[in-house]
Amino acid sequence: SATELRLSHQWSNNDIRHKVAQMVADEVAAADVDLNIKIFGSKSLFKPREQYKPLSRGQLDMTVLPLSYAGGQQPAYNLTLMPGLVKNHDHAARLSASPFMEALEEKMAEDDVMVLVHGYLAGGFAGKDKCITAPEDVQGLQTRAAGKSFEQMLAGAGASIASMASSEIYNAMQTGVLQAANTSSSSFVSYRIYEQVSCYTPAGDVALWFMYQPLLINKTTFEGLSAEQQAALRTASEKAQAYYLEEAKKEDAASAKVFADAGVEIAQMTAEDFDAWRELAKETSYKQFVAEVPDGQQLLDLALSVE
Amino acid sequence: MAGHTSAAAARTGNNPFLRFVAALSTLAGWCSAAMIVASVAITCQMIVIRFVLNGSTIWQTEAVIYLMIAATLVGLPYVQRLRGHVNVDLVPLSLPRRARFILAVITSLLSITIIAIMLWYGFEYWHFAMERGWRSDTVWGVRLWIPYLSIPVGFGLLLLQLVADFIALMIGADRPFGLEDA
Amino acid sequence: MDPLLLGGIVAVLTILVLFSGVSVAIGLLIVSAGFLIVFDGPRSLELMPEILFGKLDNFALLSIPMFIIMGASIASTRAGADLYEALERWLTRIPGGLVVSNLGACALFAAMSGSSPATCAAIGKMGIPEMRKRGYPDGVAAGSIAAGGTLGILIPPSVTMIVYGIATETSIGRLFLAGVIPGLLLVGLFMGWSLYSTWRSGDAARLGSGSYTWAERFEILPRVLPFLAIIIGVLYAMYGGIATPSETAAVGALLCLVIAVVIYKLWNPRDLWVVLRDSTKESVMILFIIAAAGVFSYMLSSLFITQSIAEWIGTLEVNRWVLMGAVNVFLLIAGFFLPPVAVILMAAPILLPIITTAGFDPIWFAVVLTINMEIGLISPPVGLNLYVINGIAPDISLRTILLGSLPFVACMILAIVLLCLFPGLATWLPNLVMGGAI
Ligand code: NA
Ligand code: NA
Repeated sequence: SATELRLSHQWSNNDIRHKVAQMVADEVAAADVDLNIKIFGSKSLFKPREQYKPLSRGQLDMTVLPLSYAGGQQPAYNLTLMPGLVKNHDHAARLSASPFMEALEEKMAEDDVMVLVHGYLAGGFAGKDKCITAPEDVQGLQTRAAGKSFEQMLAGAGASIASMASSEIYNAMQTGVLQAANTSSSSFVSYRIYEQVSCYTPAGDVALWFMYQPLLINKTTFEGLSAEQQAALRTASEKAQAYYLEEAKKEDAASAKVFADAGVEIAQMTAEDFDAWRELAKETSYKQFVAEVPDGQQLLDLALSVE
Repeated sequence: MAGHTSAAAARTGNNPFLRFVAALSTLAGWCSAAMIVASVAITCQMIVIRFVLNGSTIWQTEAVIYLMIAATLVGLPYVQRLRGHVNVDLVPLSLPRRARFILAVITSLLSITIIAIMLWYGFEYWHFAMERGWRSDTVWGVRLWIPYLSIPVGFGLLLLQLVADFIALMIGADRPFGLEDA
Repeated sequence: MDPLLLGGIVAVLTILVLFSGVSVAIGLLIVSAGFLIVFDGPRSLELMPEILFGKLDNFALLSIPMFIIMGASIASTRAGADLYEALERWLTRIPGGLVVSNLGACALFAAMSGSSPATCAAIGKMGIPEMRKRGYPDGVAAGSIAAGGTLGILIPPSVTMIVYGIATETSIGRLFLAGVIPGLLLVGLFMGWSLYSTWRSGDAARLGSGSYTWAERFEILPRVLPFLAIIIGVLYAMYGGIATPSETAAVGALLCLVIAVVIYKLWNPRDLWVVLRDSTKESVMILFIIAAAGVFSYMLSSLFITQSIAEWIGTLEVNRWVLMGAVNVFLLIAGFFLPPVAVILMAAPILLPIITTAGFDPIWFAVVLTINMEIGLISPPVGLNLYVINGIAPDISLRTILLGSLPFVACMILAIVLLCLFPGLATWLPNLVMGGAI
């Protein structure tokens, strides 16, 4: 009978990352190679941060997740959510095809994991009382950042870091426990943060917050498939990757529109702001990353060398 | 209607092994309570840092989560000893003595088996995390084998208490399901 | 195998295993392991400790032991007796005033404790002997406290609401607010029934015969102040921007411990240990069920049972109120046998998509579900409050307690009906305080 692969993710059915997974599943089914992909969405199987471990041990076949979630297992992955490393979506696409990504894929191979679909999503800042564009804007604000490197950078800018689940941002903003937050465009919309903030700084021509969120498969599982099945998966993934890039670009503008429609002020980060943040990041998160990861400097240089 | 609040702790008789396990479980209960108290203190400290001093709170949430997990797992043997894990004892209550005893033997053995499985794979998971040097993906970056240690320790102690309960049942030191004879 | 048929088999086997007298949490692990071995292969057992740990890896769970400590520390002092006495002095002229005082004390205590057994114990220790002494029938005395105690999980804070909030990712602050008006409604219904039954029994004159001077009435009021301080302190921390609901629980626990030690002189280490021991025991019991139910729901999801049931119900063309009725009957039956947290964790992932596709508000549904769970707390065979009453007054037979709480069960069913007719009872307050629904 047909081989069945189990894919787990945390997103809802109308999320772009679910659509990418669904597209691969549909294409593979259409290829008629006795291969089925069964999708377990909306964290119905594993919690978001608990997908990588079973994936690397072959207990789960596939997943779509922010790779930085597994930064505790492979510290190098922290480079996939590093402030200022990616400038925009086209730059992100070039990174995905660079020697930097090859180096990361080597790390993944150590964990018996490989990439099928590359993709980056962007995010921005939201402020309860004011706009956040430059580093000095977060001084003294209780801030919730998505990701370790962002926490380090924001702390360097004088923000106070409050760690909480993204699902708690809404209430924390409402009661005033939190004054600023930084997360992905889609999370800002799905948690209706626009009801609680006065200003939103979406990803635009430049954006600080880019997160690598690939579709992964267990390597041994993949190698155990027949040649036709592997080819079908590859073809489907290629198609999905193109779609992912297109949709990722639309996402930022869509989130800005939702916020604007809700009467929230929209601010833009200028190139100077971006450079200021990046300088700060070099002194904080980059520095700490290099100190923590043995081949960190080499990986960082590889990433920075991508034009 | 026994089984929860009304039932007394598991009986040990004068058996030294049973008393040793009971003491161990009680010690585990103290540790569990201490960890809960520590969580209260840390959470309040976090609120003071954030609300009064407007400072950063990096490690507190994570520390509290791991303390709560450890309090739960390490507290298991103690609660087992106090017969604090709720059960549905409708059927055992309605059974005659002999049948009730047999049912108690079966459920004890099943419980021992499943907890042994949890201990086995829990130990393996803990060991894997230590070997691979896994850390949590936060600024604090806790070495995960430390919180994971509560899995083998908690289930190991629970297994010991379950075995002791089974022995107590077999040597007649305690009654099936802790129920008084009908 | 068809996932729906498989779901039926899982249900039957789960019931069989749980009825064997094995602990609920361990029973759930046994069933999960069995089905995982058969349908996902033995290797899936490797995942069980990992999933169990993951289910506990949630900051919001902190509030469970914290809200239990709040109740337990205050319950171990004479605070409960003070509260009860104060109400009694003021309500004594009313025929049946003692039952009304007890119910009022339960409701107030429920505003500090997240758990029902704790509420039941705190007020019952004083209330039951007092009522019996004054000539109330055993059934009324035991039944009213058993039922009044169930308010612990409806009036915020509430352990079951926290668990529901975690399982369904709804705002805990919002859920807490949703319980307030239905809680008051239930208190009103309970009191109404008590007054009516006292009046009808013809003993009204005799039962209302206490007498206190106004001086005595005012003299006791300061002793209620610690209660107000705690309730206001917790509310202020939660809704005033100091802390998230889960963090607030720790503030409440600390506040209650401090008040117990400073005002009520609970400084004997042995007494403090009893508070901690009881809280630890109840918390660990609940948290283990939560963890095991998490493994169970992983199994249901992995076997595609959860998803198939939701899909199947979606295709049914039934009236949404027929659906709601069926859901209520299901919850009621589940509540007879299982403690609230186990029901919520196993049922919420399956029921929630059904409820929301049928157009019901998840916050409103939490309240309906909680009242169903309250009924379960005072019904055999697993009725936690019954155990508590049994501990306080061992000489009252189970039958008497049950018959005494039956009218209160009727009140709860009436409350569910009222909530269905007027959903605003649950949704109005959270929407008012926290803005439109999310
Ligand atoms: Na309560
Ligand atoms: Na029940």
